[in-house]
Amino acid sequence: MTTQAINKPAPGFGATLSRLSRQREYGVLALLLLTIFAVSLVNHSFLAGGNIRDILVSSVPAVIVACGLTLVIVMGEIDISMGALMGLLATVMGQLTTPAHANLPVAVGIIVTLLLGAGIGLINGLLVAYGRMPSIIVTLGMLTVLHGVNLTLINGHYITDLPAGLRFFGIGTFLGIPISLWVTAAVVILAILLVRQTPLGRRIYAAGSNPEAARLAGLPVRNLKVFVFMLTGLLVAVATVVSVPRLGVIESGIGQNFELVVVTCVVVGGTSISGGRGTIIGSVLAALLLGVISPMLIFLRLGESATYWDRAIQGAFILVAVLIDHVARSRRGAH
Amino acid sequence: MNTPFLQVSGLSKAYNGIPALSGVSIDIEPGELHALMGENGAGKSTLIKCLSGVVRPDGGEVRVNGVAVSLGDIRASETAGIVALHQESTAFAHLNAIDNIFVGREPRIGPGLLDRPRMRREAQALLDRLGEKIDLDRPLEELSLAQRQMVGIARALSHKSGLLIMDEPTASLSARETETLFRIIRQLQSEGVAILYVSHRMEEVFALSSRVTILRDGKLVDTRPIADVSRDELVKLMVGRELLAEESRESTVTLGEVMLDVRGLTRPGVFQDISLSVRAGEIVGLAGLVGAGRSEVAASIFGVDRPASGSVSIAGKPLPAGSIPKSIGCGLALVPEDRQHQGLVLPLTVGTNLLLTVLGSPSMGALRSSDKENKVVADLMRDLSVKAAGPGIAANTLSGGNQQKLALGKWLAAAPRVLILDEPTRGVDVGAKADVYRIIRQLAQDGMATLLISSDLPELLTLSDRILVMSQGRIRGELTRAEATEEKILALALHTENSSVKVVA
Repeated sequence: MTTQAINKPAPGFGATLSRLSRQREYGVLALLLLTIFAVSLVNHSFLAGGNIRDILVSSVPAVIVACGLTLVIVMGEIDISMGALMGLLATVMGQLTTPAHANLPVAVGIIVTLLLGAGIGLINGLLVAYGRMPSIIVTLGMLTVLHGVNLTLINGHYITDLPAGLRFFGIGTFLGIPISLWVTAAVVILAILLVRQTPLGRRIYAAGSNPEAARLAGLPVRNLKVFVFMLTGLLVAVATVVSVPRLGVIESGIGQNFELVVVTCVVVGGTSISGGRGTIIGSVLAALLLGVISPMLIFLRLGESATYWDRAIQGAFILVAVLIDHVARSRRGAH
Repeated sequence: MNTPFLQVSGLSKAYNGIPALSGVSIDIEPGELHALMGENGAGKSTLIKCLSGVVRPDGGEVRVNGVAVSLGDIRASETAGIVALHQESTAFAHLNAIDNIFVGREPRIGPGLLDRPRMRREAQALLDRLGEKIDLDRPLEELSLAQRQMVGIARALSHKSGLLIMDEPTASLSARETETLFRIIRQLQSEGVAILYVSHRMEEVFALSSRVTILRDGKLVDTRPIADVSRDELVKLMVGRELLAEESRESTVTLGEVMLDVRGLTRPGVFQDISLSVRAGEIVGLAGLVGAGRSEVAASIFGVDRPASGSVSIAGKPLPAGSIPKSIGCGLALVPEDRQHQGLVLPLTVGTNLLLTVLGSPSMGALRSSDKENKVVADLMRDLSVKAAGPGIAANTLSGGNQQKLALGKWLAAAPRVLILDEPTRGVDVGAKADVYRIIRQLAQDGMATLLISSDLPELLTLSDRILVMSQGRIRGELTRAEATEEKILALALHTENSSVKVVA
């Protein structure tokens, strides 16, 4: 009985890192505000209303899907099929509603899109939870299947002439604010409510924190996993409905690299890749931060080649975030 | 006499045909503290798991206040008021105390929203009842182990439990925290909560319990009032079995020089001041209960972990700490306890596994030579009497015993001078066990210095020239072959810091 329980984090650098990884939201928020402030000093038009709105609208898909992926990663799993799913859903939605194809009512097209998204997520979840396969492999396989089906369906063509009812979700406004922003706000609020105020949300975090303890507490760990994958699939569909019609043209490249952007948001936003820890608001702020980078490079007028740094900066964010997480955890593990 | 709170009758459970619990019956009165004791593998954990619904017993009955409880269902057990307080690893480290207490049975407003104010109120009330001040909003990982345990007890109490099962609750607590726990235990008893208390610590059992039940080899030995039993008797009841009539190793071997010399090895909180030496041709047993720190000592000697202080030397030459390749280079080998994960590369072939430690060693040359490799493998398979269709089949198709022979053989290919064996026959059938014993003895005869970690007391007594006994991270005593008995080993292994157990060594 010589072991003294130690509960105070080690002072100094380790504690700072530990706090930073636990409350990453503040760090991300500070970085976001700092970036906006710095860029607007150089170029005043950065803060113009139209520009801010464009940045927000372009962040919509990442913000919406990050709400779902945060919970997948909190449960210690990963989903990398989101980009391919978005591509397929865009094609299906377009082909169902355009005159040149099925020409069905827009409502039918949207409902089918939502159901298909949730259904693919359900299959991912079932394969991971009940098939006991690693989620990276399951969703890698799913990515390839979905991409293949999408290429077959779209068959090298563009889908144009999207019906006005569908385009409304992309370009329409309500009280002067784009529809997509209203939907995004609703998704974020519901996700935060789910996480903080419902038993379901707390159980997801419990199961992600310690799956064995969750089982001993009688929680349906597998069904919780199925749920978070299904939710993510559904949110990919929601993101598709409110973002794709903005373009007016649907082609096979939609959704390309989208999964990487969303994973970046969630990880940079402070969700631990080993599960149990992470917040919706962190992921959302990180999505906005990443959304600012590309316009920032343009507004800083660094020359044309500078804008290509976008991806490299995103990648660096991931590495730094994971490094902070790792170092902080090993500090914690040391006592 | 009142009806007991809990009546267990004829509870049985077998894993893969091997009985872990056979026909155990036990009664627990309301407000009683009932101790449960037994050696490693006596069936204590299986009994706890059956009672708390984590596993479904094969047969038997559990009644609470006379009503049968549906078995193998955690929720049913909790509803009936049986709650197991597992060790602190079963808490949710990232969640705060409130969530830890209620997760799985959250109070709600309407169908799907948490009743946060009520959760906070009730959590506070439960913790107040335990007399503990805990910051409700901090994640559990920021609390002390004792505080986490209080949260676990609060969770159990929130079930309105009538029986709290505690498995080694003081294992990681300081003396002061232990006092707090005992105060809470007494308070719960006064409120009518019964406690099934599993502990290896004699002084706790004598201080707290009114009755003690002893299990051995999955069977009930006896339930006795604590006042009617002495410490010595308790140890005898736990060991009990006839000593296996295995032929002991004749000590005709002449011991050589000291090959393994460990001085003052320490990893704070894990083990302290471990000093031991093993001579060429000698087999030194390392005994102790699970959690005594034996495997951790082995890992530090071998270089898996870096000890905080202390030194290891092989044949008089100091060994650099924390480097497995250097340890192997100096002639040290470790056959780990967990052969499936640490000892073998299961999907690879028998031949490849045997060659793992020598691939790249100078004796095999710079380029791989299949002739040389085939010869090494064939010799080893013969020496070890590995029962396998051939060197080309996958290691995971072999039986546990043959896998263990492979894990051993892998090291023999490297021709080490010092061999550390961690539980070499766990999960191995009797036939293979005899083969493993034969190999260990043969190696010793050829001059190998062997450190044998085992929880199987007859095995230690059969093989060892000397036996060191560890408890709570320290070596508590040394027994020669002549003086070692199961009772003496167990008495030393049960020794604790503030124990008054007197041992006649």
